[in-house]
Amino acid sequence: MTAVDTPVAAGRPRAPASVGQAVVSVLVIGLVVGPFVPLVYSSFRSKPVYLPGGVFSLGGYRTLFADPAYRTAVKNTLLFAVGTTALAVAGGTLLAILCTRTNLPGRRAYGLLLMAPSVIPPLGLIVGWTAIYGQGGYVTQLLSRNLHLPVWNLSSIPGMTVFGAVVTLPVAYLTVRSTLAGTDSSLEDAARSAGAGPLRVIGRITLPMLRPAILNCTVLIFALCLEILGIPLFLGGPSNIDFYASFLYRSWSNSGTPDPPFVSAGAVLLLVVVSLLLVVRARLSGAEQRFVTVGARSGGVHRPLDLGRWRRPASAAIGVFIAVTSVVPLLGLVLMSFVRVLTTLVAPWHLMTSDNWHAVATDPALRRSITDSLLIAVGGGAASVALVAVAALIAHRSRFPLRRLIAPALMYPRAVPGVILGMGFFWTYLMFTPGSLVRNNLWGEAIALCVRNLTLAYVVIQPSLARIGVELDRAGHAAGAGWWTVARRILLPMLRPALLAAFVFMFVTLLGDYDPVVFLQKPGTEILGVTMLQHWSTGVQGPVAALAVLQVVIVAAVLLVAGRALRRVDHA
Amino acid sequence: MPEIRIRNLRKSFGAATVLDGIGFTVRDKEFVTLLGPSGCGKTTTLMAIAGFQSPDEGVIAVGDEVFVDRSAGVDLPAERRDLGIVFQSYALWPHMTVAQNVGFPLSLRKADKRAARERVAEVLDLVELGGHGDRYPHQLSGGQQQRVALARAIAHPPRVLLLDEPFSNLDAKLRERARDWLKQLQTSLGLTTVFVTHDQDEALAMSDRILVMHGGRILRDGTPEEVYREPGARFVAEFLGQCNFLTGSVAAGPAGSSVLRMPAFPDGITVGAAPRGPEATVAVRPQDIELDGPDAPGVDASVIEAVFLGDHYRYQVRVAGLRIEVHAPHTVACGPARIRIPPGAAVFVD
Repeated sequence: MTAVDTPVAAGRPRAPASVGQAVVSVLVIGLVVGPFVPLVYSSFRSKPVYLPGGVFSLGGYRTLFADPAYRTAVKNTLLFAVGTTALAVAGGTLLAILCTRTNLPGRRAYGLLLMAPSVIPPLGLIVGWTAIYGQGGYVTQLLSRNLHLPVWNLSSIPGMTVFGAVVTLPVAYLTVRSTLAGTDSSLEDAARSAGAGPLRVIGRITLPMLRPAILNCTVLIFALCLEILGIPLFLGGPSNIDFYASFLYRSWSNSGTPDPPFVSAGAVLLLVVVSLLLVVRARLSGAEQRFVTVGARSGGVHRPLDLGRWRRPASAAIGVFIAVTSVVPLLGLVLMSFVRVLTTLVAPWHLMTSDNWHAVATDPALRRSITDSLLIAVGGGAASVALVAVAALIAHRSRFPLRRLIAPALMYPRAVPGVILGMGFFWTYLMFTPGSLVRNNLWGEAIALCVRNLTLAYVVIQPSLARIGVELDRAGHAAGAGWWTVARRILLPMLRPALLAAFVFMFVTLLGDYDPVVFLQKPGTEILGVTMLQHWSTGVQGPVAALAVLQVVIVAAVLLVAGRALRRVDHA
Repeated sequence: MPEIRIRNLRKSFGAATVLDGIGFTVRDKEFVTLLGPSGCGKTTTLMAIAGFQSPDEGVIAVGDEVFVDRSAGVDLPAERRDLGIVFQSYALWPHMTVAQNVGFPLSLRKADKRAARERVAEVLDLVELGGHGDRYPHQLSGGQQQRVALARAIAHPPRVLLLDEPFSNLDAKLRERARDWLKQLQTSLGLTTVFVTHDQDEALAMSDRILVMHGGRILRDGTPEEVYREPGARFVAEFLGQCNFLTGSVAAGPAGSSVLRMPAFPDGITVGAAPRGPEATVAVRPQDIELDGPDAPGVDASVIEAVFLGDHYRYQVRVAGLRIEVHAPHTVACGPARIRIPPGAAVFVD
């Protein structure tokens, strides 16, 4: 009766939540937007900003447009981007439909394997491809020297386009697959009961429904192609083909005066183009609302489209595709790390050597690149996830005035080219006094890499947060908890699986990423990607392959362990 | 427990007005229900009391403490209002056990650990879940989850209990049991309670007072019987049970009553209130109308449809071009019949 009147509680003092919210918001927005300001500024100076006597000038832009190498790089980039996008979107869409809507044998396993190029560290895949399909590659040699057949040229624009399509295909595959998973398959069933055969259903119903998703990933892949750096540096090198990003990189590192304004100007132009593509994409996804199908998802098991006598051939073709694009290059990579030289003229076991691995274990620069990269992947990954988790809570679960800016700020770093973000950080560190605190040590590189990949942590955390009903926060507030208490004791504990997944995603990416730090690395602060890039350009291949194998092994091990851990967390 | 005073609450989302001058008082220990269809503003009102919606205008006070006073710029954050809420979805935190859920408000108030543990056990006993403290919410049935949500809401203890459609996720049988049980608990603990529902049965069965809401306004405020018998507005009559509406000319009757005349009822229908104008509409409940065979007293009618519903029949009856619904326990054959509206069955509505 009087139970309710039993006083067991005293009043509670609390600090206003908005101070902490302000600190985190300003930090996120500052880290993301900050680097672009010095970059744009430096592009409009007549001299690099650290030299005295610079004035405002369009000289950088004029130099850029007058440079025939720039125009060639733009042309190459566009050719590459158009071809790659077309191949990747067509292939990804086809594979997504085959693996989710048909009775293709082995579609489950393929569904996972097709993602491989997005998990394998990018440089590892490039090195593996070179080892197998490059000019001196194993298969290329086998066909040309031993069998005297005409062969391809991986270092040509078509060659790089094919490789680019293999790397970007998972983007299209994932976008289309998730859209297919979210659309009611009863729409297709209705067409079948109206008398349409499988091909007609795909052509008349499935593909038209996918139009927004296909457009969306087309723009996304096109934007990715514009900024690609690894492909032209590794593959285009032998035939002197430059793309936009590699042109900027080479001009930067080979220029007489260091850090010329015209490189900043080129970066700003690319930034503008990519930002415009971002706007286009936002418009497109707005139009997507029109395609949202009415009614509840059927949930029932629907009968997959029957491929008939094409079942086995199609399945075999996908198997071969996966073997050729992922499995064989990975084997080539491993082989390359164990031989003196990869050639078909001498059996590989006669060329066996442990020198490459010995170099990795003893060369201080190579060793440092491994430990530094691991340090950044673990420490930077954890710090980024913590920052993004709180920022996401502010963006979606608070009344903080700046909250609407946070989600776009978190999406932006991954939407702009990594080299450009890196160049922005270079100028930022150079122009501001506190920058010298991080310029000459690992911190500067760690910050650039983490900011670049904040987006990835956010895209993992945000959907999980959206699934937590807002009534759970409200119940916390009603019980007397302030914003931080609700965040700390209710939302963050519930987000644990997402936080772990975000950390794993960050770890894997940070270990392989290098775009943002190609302008920042200095002797003594090596990281894996840039070290591989620099060694490769001097013709050192074996140790680079060994580093790439190491990268792949670490990533595979982490994914394996994390998969187990995540399953356990989900059960709890 | 203190009373809740709400004055002139207004809230718009863009052009849509959700609350259009809501004002009412909930007395100490009273159980007041906000009843209405979806979109009437009942949940917005409740969330404004709880502190999850800021009204554009108005005053909300509990006891001596002003929660919201827009003109004075007062808007206390939800966590400082010391209320207990049961949400429609229960909002149990899935990563905490039952005891941790219930103990959360206590731990925030820095309650002594042992006292808190005893209090959690006490409250769980109260909701008949003693011994379930170590379970996780997903290990409980819907009814049990609902009781955990209630235990959490009354643990600290709150100044006022707010209930947002807490029964809507239960099946019909369980809902009736939960309803009786909650009402008993509320009475025995003397909790001042505001309850939101769109279910008229729940409202009638549990409330001390019902406020019927529509379009952001309160249309009727009274005890369940008052609201049911004297709905006052056509919308209220329709929302609480079924009704026939008859319109005709009004004349004064004996002893402050009125007589409503229309072609279907030439002798008139007696209404127990003075006329308010020359024309009026009355509401008549289907079960208050007398219907019988062609020899019975009343006006000529024709039964055009009879549906058996277990404890009564539902008849569609035609009377001089009007269609009237009648509920009666006895059988009447389709075809000619007699219908009569006894004095007191009809009430004026706006």
